[in-house]
Amino acid sequence: MSNWQNLQPRSFLEASARDRALGLVDEGSFTELAGPFDRVTSPHLELLGDAVAFDDGIVTGIGRIGKTPVFVISQEGKFIGGSVGEIGGAKMVNTIKLAIEFHDDLVAKHPDLTDEEKPVVVISFETGGVRLHEANAGLLAHAEVMDQLQKARGKVPVIAVIGSKVGGFGGMGFVAAATDAIIMSEFGRLGLTGPEVIEQEMGKEEFDASDRALVYRTTGGRHKYIMGDANFLVQDSIEAFRKQVVELAPLPVSDFEAMRRIGSPETVEKQLRLVALAAEMQPQDAVDVWAKAGNENAAGLLDVPFAEFMSTVKRLAV
Amino acid sequence: MEMQESMMGRGREAIDMIVDPESFQENTVGAQSFDDPEFGPGAVVGTATLDGKTTTIIASDGNAFNEKFPVVYAGIIGMEEGYKMAQAVYASIAADAEKPLEEKRALVLIVDTPGNGPGKVEEIFGMNKATAAYQLALAEARLKGHAIIAMVIGRAISGAFLCHGLQADSIVSLDANYGTMIHVMPLTSVSRIIKKPLEVLEEISKDNAVFAAGPRFFYSLGGVGLIVDHVDGMRPAIIDRVAEVQKAKAEGKQDTLGPWGRGALGAERGGRVERPKVMALMNEEFAAVAGQYAPAR
Repeated sequence: MSNWQNLQPRSFLEASARDRALGLVDEGSFTELAGPFDRVTSPHLELLGDAVAFDDGIVTGIGRIGKTPVFVISQEGKFIGGSVGEIGGAKMVNTIKLAIEFHDDLVAKHPDLTDEEKPVVVISFETGGVRLHEANAGLLAHAEVMDQLQKARGKVPVIAVIGSKVGGFGGMGFVAAATDAIIMSEFGRLGLTGPEVIEQEMGKEEFDASDRALVYRTTGGRHKYIMGDANFLVQDSIEAFRKQVVELAPLPVSDFEAMRRIGSPETVEKQLRLVALAAEMQPQDAVDVWAKAGNENAAGLLDVPFAEFMSTVKRLAV
Repeated sequence: MEMQESMMGRGREAIDMIVDPESFQENTVGAQSFDDPEFGPGAVVGTATLDGKTTTIIASDGNAFNEKFPVVYAGIIGMEEGYKMAQAVYASIAADAEKPLEEKRALVLIVDTPGNGPGKVEEIFGMNKATAAYQLALAEARLKGHAIIAMVIGRAISGAFLCHGLQADSIVSLDANYGTMIHVMPLTSVSRIIKKPLEVLEEISKDNAVFAAGPRFFYSLGGVGLIVDHVDGMRPAIIDRVAEVQKAKAEGKQDTLGPWGRGALGAERGGRVERPKVMALMNEEFAAVAGQYAPAR
């Protein structure tokens, strides 16, 4: 079996950023841009006497799924928690920008371009956001990513895949929320303020960060799926994530627009109904919200097997 | 530089210092009115005239407390606040949808916010969506031709600055003599977390702006376009910036503005020189393989 075939059944959670990128697109189709052989490293880490990574902790490139060009951004949590600095941030920004420009070129050249021939962007999140060693540059890069996401609207669909333990937090929690469609595994986590930060700022009574079950109930894939914040929930394997991306890639951009949770006055109205529910319920725990959604076995929802969860879970509707 | 009384927590006063006298109408933007005083009290939204022109104003109220969401106080942007700000932006876009570019109203963001709502309920319901929704709305307004100017008067901290400020076309900041704070984290906290002595970080930050706190460092990174050293300078600076931004948009020079324009400014000012290099490398590498990824015809 080829390396690509070997990758498919592997745990997405345990895979490296590069293996995730390679495995998500068609076999042998991935070209890395500003890859490790280019050795573009952070001078800011070097100045501090810290170790650098030849890819600055992020894999960027282009592959293919069927007829669809797929621009991939894959963050590596093992390098300083997948944090975003000047170079990694620039790689992320420019990958989306290249996808938009490629789209515009193709549309100009081929008036008959089909939906499945149009590029998409896939971002695998494994980051807490800004890299403190170069915090200001990282912060400014986040704003650039948001700008590119808005520029991609109506042209290039952006799909978030979140199946890593670090997940997407901090400023990258905004970025993930701003994509068109979100695919998570139950081990992926998504949020803004990480559990440790809430505990530090608001106290252990507000949030006990050492309570792993609480952390997953609040930020994990199953919860985000119930809330509608994740559009799709898949098993923890590269092939399961790939299968979902394969289904999405050829869809017209209007279908992606319909999957958005935010990004229009109408979606903001809908989110405000959720916020009103939060104010009314004042939930002590995510389980309260699952029960409100109509799940009779709310307390046991994290423990039921994946297939049973998917076939029985009721998602929150407002 | 003479120290001045801080503007922190004084967003409402700043509005009066900036806009035409007595012109601020709170809670009305275009066709949208915000009638419920308990809805997102930490966000101040409304319409004023600035040099005679209709302008949307979005600020934080440092003295408001959101009874429904107790982590929201002192200018923190909570879920209601984020969506309320987004609604004010969408209402601005809708009000001028049929107008030509030069008549689209400007938006002025008055920035003094310490963060986003850091609570359990916020995480359960998705605080990240509220702030992202506001950022996307601002980016849309900017790309549709509205001039957006951010005026930093106090705290512009990390994710809250991303949310309320960093999507603007142009950012003006009061200088450090007003105690203006622009950072992800104070250097003392950075020192603790990345385990480097404070003295070492202070020494490095003299020549390298990427992690130090304050408006001057953000200026050299291109993150702040212009610094003013007196509150009297805010109004004329904003009026000028609106005119400059509108001119650039009329000339199709959108790329000199906003987050992307700040990238170029950061390189020009020597604070962010690696960014353009890695982007150029990627462009070159992609150009070499692009043909393989184009559809067969």
